[in-house]
Amino acid sequence: MMQGSNTYLIRPNHQHKFKPAVVKEYIREIVRDRLSGVRYNPEEVPELCRSLADSIKDKVKNAGLDRYKLVVQVVIGEQRGQGVKMSSRCLWDADTDNYAEDVFMNENMFCVAAVFGSYYY
Amino acid sequence: MHSDKKLTKEDTWRPADLRRYIREEERGDFRKRDESERKHHRGDSIEKRTRDQEKEYRREKDNIRERTDENVKDRYSERRKEGSRDRREERDKDREKRRERDRQGDVNKYVDDYRENKDRRRDREERHDRERDKERSRDKEKERVRDREKYYEEEKGRRREERDKERSRDKEKERVREKEKYYDEEKDRRREERDKERSRDKEKERAREREKYYDEEKDRRREERDKERSRDKERERAREREKYYEEEKDRRREERDKEKSRDKEKERVREKEKYYEEEKDRRREERDKERRREERDREHRNERERRRNEPSGEEGRDRIEKYERNQRDRHQERERHKDEYEVKRSEKERRERPADRTHSELNEERDYREERRKDKDERERRHKDRRNYDDKQKPDSDSREHQDLRKSSEEVLDHRSDRERTERDKYKDRRYQEERDPERNDRDKAKTKKSASETSHSHKTTIETEITSDQDAAEPEYEDDFEKLDYEEDFEEMDESANDSEEERQLSEEKEELSDKRREEIKAIQRAMDEENERMGTAQSRQSPIREEEDRPKWSRGSEKNQSKTSQRGKFINFVAAKQREINKKVATQQKKRSTELLRLIDLDFSVTSSLLDLPPVNEYDMYIRNFGTANTKQAYVQCNEDNADRDIQTEEIELCEKWTQHPPEHYGACGDPNLTQDPQNRTVNEINFDSKRLTAFLLSASQVMVVLLEEDQAERESLRKLQSQTDTLSFSDGSLQLNTKLPFLYGRSISLIHFSQVQRHTMMSVHKPTTKPSAVRLDSCTVICIWNIWEPSKPQKILVYESEVLCCCFSPGKAILVFAGTSVGSVVLWDLREQACNHYRITIGEDEWTLRQPSFSTDAVMAGSGHLSSVTSVEVVPSAIAGGLRPEVPLLASEEESTGLSFQLASLDESGVLNFWVVVELPKANESGSQTDLGLRPGGKVKLLHSSSLLTTERVSQREATKTGPLQTLQLKFLPSDSNHFFIGTNMGIVSHGTSHGLRALPKFYRFHEGGVRPVDVNSISFSPFRQHLFLVGCGDGSIRLHVVSYEQPLTEWNNLTAGEPVVSVQWAQTRSTVFCVLDAASNFHIWDLLKNETEPVVTERINADRVTAMATFGDSGQQNTYSGVALAHESGKIEIQYFTKNLTVPSPAEDEKLECLMKEAF
Repeated sequence: MMQGSNTYLIRPNHQHKFKPAVVKEYIREIVRDRLSGVRYNPEEVPELCRSLADSIKDKVKNAGLDRYKLVVQVVIGEQRGQGVKMSSRCLWDADTDNYAEDVFMNENMFCVAAVFGSYYY
Repeated sequence: MHSDKKLTKEDTWRPADLRRYIREEERGDFRKRDESERKHHRGDSIEKRTRDQEKEYRREKDNIRERTDENVKDRYSERRKEGSRDRREERDKDREKRRERDRQGDVNKYVDDYRENKDRRRDREERHDRERDKERSRDKEKERVRDREKYYEEEKGRRREERDKERSRDKEKERVREKEKYYDEEKDRRREERDKERSRDKEKERAREREKYYDEEKDRRREERDKERSRDKERERAREREKYYEEEKDRRREERDKEKSRDKEKERVREKEKYYEEEKDRRREERDKERRREERDREHRNERERRRNEPSGEEGRDRIEKYERNQRDRHQERERHKDEYEVKRSEKERRERPADRTHSELNEERDYREERRKDKDERERRHKDRRNYDDKQKPDSDSREHQDLRKSSEEVLDHRSDRERTERDKYKDRRYQEERDPERNDRDKAKTKKSASETSHSHKTTIETEITSDQDAAEPEYEDDFEKLDYEEDFEEMDESANDSEEERQLSEEKEELSDKRREEIKAIQRAMDEENERMGTAQSRQSPIREEEDRPKWSRGSEKNQSKTSQRGKFINFVAAKQREINKKVATQQKKRSTELLRLIDLDFSVTSSLLDLPPVNEYDMYIRNFGTANTKQAYVQCNEDNADRDIQTEEIELCEKWTQHPPEHYGACGDPNLTQDPQNRTVNEINFDSKRLTAFLLSASQVMVVLLEEDQAERESLRKLQSQTDTLSFSDGSLQLNTKLPFLYGRSISLIHFSQVQRHTMMSVHKPTTKPSAVRLDSCTVICIWNIWEPSKPQKILVYESEVLCCCFSPGKAILVFAGTSVGSVVLWDLREQACNHYRITIGEDEWTLRQPSFSTDAVMAGSGHLSSVTSVEVVPSAIAGGLRPEVPLLASEEESTGLSFQLASLDESGVLNFWVVVELPKANESGSQTDLGLRPGGKVKLLHSSSLLTTERVSQREATKTGPLQTLQLKFLPSDSNHFFIGTNMGIVSHGTSHGLRALPKFYRFHEGGVRPVDVNSISFSPFRQHLFLVGCGDGSIRLHVVSYEQPLTEWNNLTAGEPVVSVQWAQTRSTVFCVLDAASNFHIWDLLKNETEPVVTERINADRVTAMATFGDSGQQNTYSGVALAHESGKIEIQYFTKNLTVPSPAEDEKLECLMKEAF
């Protein structure tokens, strides 16, 4: 049972702040590692998405973000010449919360992975 | 069906309430629930549906209830408290008591049910209490009842029917209820049977049907009541009684109307309750009787059932018949119970009367009863409540049963045993109770709804008649029907409930009477039941959790009912949940507090919409290229025939190489090839070229030699002939040679100068002055200089042209390859005679082609700062010591000097006395495009002049004399051949100044006339002796000639007036004899002096009048074995004659030196 006084820590320590560049690098690393040379397969992609999101989440979690709630969104789509437009909008505290995003593309698919980090006060 | 009805708000929530209560019943009564669950399992979807709705309705209902009826709420809260307080103790107590009372162990399970109903029961009781108080004011009515009862007693025998109808309707119900109580107990006993027995759906349907009939019957009964009453009146009743009935009828009608208003209803109920409570007491005493009666009832019921089966085929009969039959049935029933009733009534009346006598007594009694009942009631409340409904229903159901069974449902029942059927009926009844139970409460609370339900009642009944045939009729309708039913019987309920407590006891006693056989049976049933319950319990628990969880929050409001329910299911779970809820609430509030505090500090804002991915659509072509142009696919092309192009080379390959040619072919070959050196074939060509080069060089020199030889030969022959002819003219001449000056460009030009090279003594140049006469060649304003080889007199070697007048000129030291000239415009120019003829302008005159050479270098304007500002009067090569010392033989070919490059100084003197020194520089390579730094250098020229130094020679000379004689002019420049630092300048003052190039003082400063003094006489000529280099001759404009020694100011000798006053033009030493010199004066007299022969006069004087001689130059080579010496004479006509001296003038003798020595000794 959660007892104890309320903490009023409303800003993360600088080292533990959500740094988009760092997280982006994580994403890039993982996505590149997992998707290079992969062809789009509609049966496998949902599972792939899930596992990608999980591994990104784990990675970012281990990155020492303090009190951050993470939302990882991974979108994989086939590239067949269609136009795709993705955008996000957040209601959050811009001082602490941030997001990182990376796009991976090869000949037949694209993968957008976005990590939203929201500071849990 | 349900949806067909237009449901008012009341309609919708009332059935909901019903359902809720059903559920409560179900939850409370484990067994019942099991049964109902089983029903659900068997596929009754209706119940499930309704149960789902139930929750919503329940919520709604709670709200409504709270809002609409504050009183009830208050009451409830009170009751709840009481109930909760008492419950535990009561429960335990109840259990013990029950165990004692009920031999069957399963009765304990009812405890829960009782507890549930306790609340309700207490409600009623409290209400009763209140009502009782009110009752006192209604003695009249009671008395009326009492009167009625008295009357009944009197007319018992006669008017049994009427009694039944009016008053005993209640009693009958009670009876039936009692029976049903028994049935309930029996139910438990026979659960096994029941379980096996039935398809519950059918039962339900049947029950519904029956209920519809109830409803119908109720309506009918209402009518019947009136009818019957009237009928009874007509038939049997006396007027009085009729009156009474009518009164009562009216009263009832009034009451019915009043029912809409709660108070009235309550009053009525209270009345009845009062009555029944009294009766209860009575009944306690009559328990034994009742036991018997119960048994009898059972038998009756069986009979009835049997009877029911019989009339099952009579469905199609008219309603009237049904009514009649119904009445008949009822009648029979009543008759059956008549004995009991009578006993009861007598007792009742006995009791009632004293009770009525004093209200205070009654109250006391009631209080007492209340207390007692509380215990009992609380124990049995639920049971009783249920039973109340059973009781309520019983009369209806009994009466209806006959009708129902006649109908279609009978068919199913037919094959079953009577007993089973009765049990089934009981179950049905119980179910109805359950359904009705909540309804009643609701009705109590919301009176206004009743009116609505009443209005809807009429059309419902009509619908229901139709429905009766439909076995699958929906439950909600029946529920509505129940409302009606309840509504009608509202007054009766309370009474019945009051009676129940006693009945309960009776039931337990009845159980004791069960036969041993029965007991055994029951035990078996129990075992089976327990098994079944366990099974169902697990199934239920599996099934229910979701619902439970949903429900829990609602229960958690703390209502006793719910708590009790949950506690029945699992006490600690409930507490844990409650505790958990508390904790959650606490945490939630904490968090909420924190969040509110934090929210002030935090600004939430919308982030700018960030684009995660923007992939533009690819057009078709790009798509194609992407898919088929690159990876993953291979593009295989098939070539059709039409494009099957084949490229073939049909000719031999052409060999290409680079060649060049040049015109004119000045270089080694006419054509060249950059790759020659690599090519052996070309190398031979190169060798050939090399050979040809040498050949050319050889040929050049050889041809020159040959030409010279040929010309010499020719000249000799000519000269011999000429000499023969001319001997008379020139005494000194041994022979003469005429240079071919009859050239078109030389036509009409006079020769101002003739000059021989000091090294190449056969090379001569003649300066032809510009002419004013028109000529074929446009060189009018130009000075033409011809370079001659005197051995080749036919034509000049080179032709040099210059735009202005040339005043002086000289050859380069050594080989005559350079020509220097000073011009009247103050420039010094030079010609490089080695330059290729192709680089110069050529003109073709007649058959001959002539190359006119422009100067290679000119100081014109280019060196204005350092050049001469006035006419250059004299140009002399500064002799170097070596050059001076050397007297090389005349080389035909290029000397070393030439190859090593030129390096000597040139001095130029202008009129104003400025002496400039130039360094002659030969560039290692000619630049065809011209030099950008040396603008005076002709393109392709290799030799140029660099200004070295400048001296002003006149100042020293003229300072003194300038005032007398005007400006001093310097006219002649000569260098001391042995020492180039000393120069001698002839002036227009008749003196020759002596200077050194380094500014050193040289003595004597001047060489003057013998007499001294300065005379304005030009020094026209200065000539150093080639043999004695310190001797020089000066020829002056006044005709005087002086012979000077360098070291003395005074002349050695001076000859005046020898020329008859004619200015001396030129004085020149002969090249082969040291004592011979030639003088030419302006009068064209040519004098030859031979000092050895004559010191005072010339030995030869020739007057040339025919063609005046304008210029003269001596030539000769002393060192050669074939010594020759002569003089070149330039005539006015432009003719150049070369006269060879006679032998006496050319052959030197040793006496000459001695003579000269003598002369010098004589002079100094």
